[in-house]
Amino acid sequence: MKSRRTLLAATAVCLLLAWLVTYPLLMTLLEALGGPHAWTLAHFAEFVQRSDEWLALWRSLWISIASVALAAAVGVPLAFLFERTEFPGRRFLGAVAALPVALPPLVGVIAFLFLYGESGFVSRAVQSLLQLKEPPWRLAGPGAVLLVHAYSMYVYFYLFTRAALSRLDAALLEAAASLGAGRWRTLFQVTLPLLRPALGSAALLTFMTSLASFSAPYIFGGGFRVMTTQIIASKLNGEQGLAQVEAVMLAVIAILGLAVLRRLDRTADAGGATGVRGIAPARRRLRSVWSRALAGVLGWTMAAILLLPHAVLALISFVPPFTWTNQAIPPVLDGRNWVGLITREHLRPVVNSLWMAAAATVAALVLGLAAARLAAVRRRGFLAGGLEWLIALPWAIPGTVFAVALATTFGVSQPWLGRFVLIGTPWILPLAYLVRNLPLTGRGALAGLRGMDPALEEAAASLGADRWRRLWRVVLPLLRPALAAGAGLAFITALGDLVTSIVLYTYDTRPISVEILSSLRLQDLGLAAVYGVILMTASTAAFLVWGRGESR
Amino acid sequence: MPPFLILEGLDKSFGTQAVLRDLSLEVNAGEVLALLGPSGSGKTTALRLIAGFEPPDRGRILVGGEEVTALPPERRHFGMVFQHYALFPHLNVAENVAFGLAGRKLSRDETARKVSDALALVELPGFEKRRVGEISGGQQQRVALARALAPEPRVLLLDEPLSNLDPTLRERTRRELLRAVRRVGITTVLVTHEQEEAFHLGNRVAVLHGGVLHQVGLPEELYAQPATRFVAGFVGRAGGLRGTLAADSGVRIGSGGDGGIVWRGVPAPDVAAAALGTPVELVVRPESLTFAPSGLEGRVTERRYSGAATYYQVELARSAGGGEIEVQAPADAAAEGDAVRVGLLPGGLPPRIFRGTT
Repeated sequence: MKSRRTLLAATAVCLLLAWLVTYPLLMTLLEALGGPHAWTLAHFAEFVQRSDEWLALWRSLWISIASVALAAAVGVPLAFLFERTEFPGRRFLGAVAALPVALPPLVGVIAFLFLYGESGFVSRAVQSLLQLKEPPWRLAGPGAVLLVHAYSMYVYFYLFTRAALSRLDAALLEAAASLGAGRWRTLFQVTLPLLRPALGSAALLTFMTSLASFSAPYIFGGGFRVMTTQIIASKLNGEQGLAQVEAVMLAVIAILGLAVLRRLDRTADAGGATGVRGIAPARRRLRSVWSRALAGVLGWTMAAILLLPHAVLALISFVPPFTWTNQAIPPVLDGRNWVGLITREHLRPVVNSLWMAAAATVAALVLGLAAARLAAVRRRGFLAGGLEWLIALPWAIPGTVFAVALATTFGVSQPWLGRFVLIGTPWILPLAYLVRNLPLTGRGALAGLRGMDPALEEAAASLGADRWRRLWRVVLPLLRPALAAGAGLAFITALGDLVTSIVLYTYDTRPISVEILSSLRLQDLGLAAVYGVILMTASTAAFLVWGRGESR
Repeated sequence: MPPFLILEGLDKSFGTQAVLRDLSLEVNAGEVLALLGPSGSGKTTALRLIAGFEPPDRGRILVGGEEVTALPPERRHFGMVFQHYALFPHLNVAENVAFGLAGRKLSRDETARKVSDALALVELPGFEKRRVGEISGGQQQRVALARALAPEPRVLLLDEPLSNLDPTLRERTRRELLRAVRRVGITTVLVTHEQEEAFHLGNRVAVLHGGVLHQVGLPEELYAQPATRFVAGFVGRAGGLRGTLAADSGVRIGSGGDGGIVWRGVPAPDVAAAALGTPVELVVRPESLTFAPSGLEGRVTERRYSGAATYYQVELARSAGGGEIEVQAPADAAAEGDAVRVGLLPGGLPPRIFRGTT
């Protein structure tokens, strides 16, 4: 009787999730095949025949692999530096090093533009220093994309490696030393193998993020098209069928990549845990004055480089439009841009982004929790597996694909098929954010529920608490950290979203990110910076309040 | 007076694995029944069926004449103490103890009084505001007991309540637990894998093995008259001697002298009607054996001195049937390597005869 009710609820939630998550993807595939009226392989044939499509596919792939390598090369040594050595300012700098994770991708991109673009700060400084006629470099093409990726994604390697290092049992290293292994042999034969699961997870996350990355290739790519920008270009050219095929291909690549990396991860997982959690190894205090000074200088330089994007955004937001031409340093600074934000109708995107992100976060929280709870209660079986799969799937599918899928599915009215016209209404963007945020809230909730001692709920039941009181008084309070972290990340993601918004927005529902792009197009750098600062501040606040460094 | 808690023919399997087969038990009002068995015996499953966390595949559960088989746990009014206590980590001691009082519509003062009464009962007065993470394991155990007792449940269920404490603390906590349960006078079912705990706390003890109830009775009955070979070995120390059934409840052991030695015992129910010559096993407690001038020939392989008693491991000669047996004897009775003869202690507990396994 009790299980019949959960069965019913699980089925209902499963259907709702399927309608939100898999149905649009399926529709996209069907329409790419011309279905259901005129089945054709013409769009796929066109895709196969065009060399630029294959090129975009290849570029997406190698950019992602290169991003993993670069991010690891930056993140892993930093993690060792901050976790295994002790020097002045270690705590503060260690926290600063995690900051880029809270920066929405688009904000990071425009900050890089203001810094290293043709008329960026650093470029101008170098130009005037060396008395060059031309800017010293152009921030464009694959190099620029990789630079931005390395900056925003090394954090995954940094955080995962640090967490794994802090969990390492010191006794293992002592055992290696007592068996005669030197520092390097211990590193390569003990420490690094033990870090493999963490490195694998970081690589997976970096690869998927990079494959789905849109802002950096969109702004810096120019003619260098990857799959995400190729899809948007096709969409803007009105080639719906081709855009759908491209979306399908990108989704396939993403799922293949996920499968391959998961497989690698699983083989790495063999052995590892000894079951006993020991004491983390002590940090090595740097003895000599010189090495301490060196570590300090290195650390502070790194912090400066990492904080430069934040600082330059804040600075540019005080530069009035068209006052900064060819000077090395902006000649006029005032609050005009900020005042203009309030007086003009420029506040609209801010309000839009805030309510849409908040609504999507609340909905994702409720739906993710419901799905996770039902999956955890039913434990095994078809429905539990289905629920778990459905809340995880949007994580693997790039946002651009979902945008195309939602545009395809909810652009026509076929109520008997579950298709309604939502395009052009204020509901499509919150819906898109909701779908993309499900993994952030749902997987966190599921992990929390799986890790919870079932005896706690049984204790509450034996003390007379019915299911609602158990949920409210026991489960939710215990899940709060996981839910808060998930909600914080979901809110940040939705607030700064560009990938799905650029496909689905209308003038009335335009979010901050879209407004940043149009300000850039109008050369109103000050206004773009103001929006950037708003996004950056809101995201960092959300990250600090809810995230508490629990970045999945 | 009819029994207060009745289990009738309970079956439970998980998948194809039958964990409980046709379990029937009766617990009288105010009695403490201990469910004793090794891990995997089904004792914890039995407790979870009683609590209502799992539904039985077959059978009924009755409390005070009312059938509760289909009732969800929150409507059974049973108190439970979990193996790892399951205290709510986000609530303090008082909030934990008050959790079960919420449905009562009590005033704030009444709730506070009931909480402090419950804490006084487990000898933790004044612990209301403490966080559950900052008190010791023994104190957590008592808070869990107070929490279970505060709503005045009909039945108290204890799932290995002492297994999480270190041995030095266990005996003291056990005595405190018994005192609290006796003071309340509540009908209690206790699950444990330790014979000493079951004998100390239980008025009666039920022995489970492989999902089957082997015997239920007073501790003295289980020790002196084990119903099955398993009970004989699991409850207390016992050694087994192989032989064949002889006349007058005798067992012929070994082949030395004039065709072996015959020892008398008490046949278990399934041997009572067996034919003479049937292979049987004579199970005898170490304290019922002694070194004697005549008896089974053997050699001492190990002497174990434990202070209160000394145990000798004796390897029996081939002519005495072979095998090993444990003998309790004075500390200076023999040394390792000595050739000895083992006999039955006059006036000791009579050995039990079980069906042999050959």
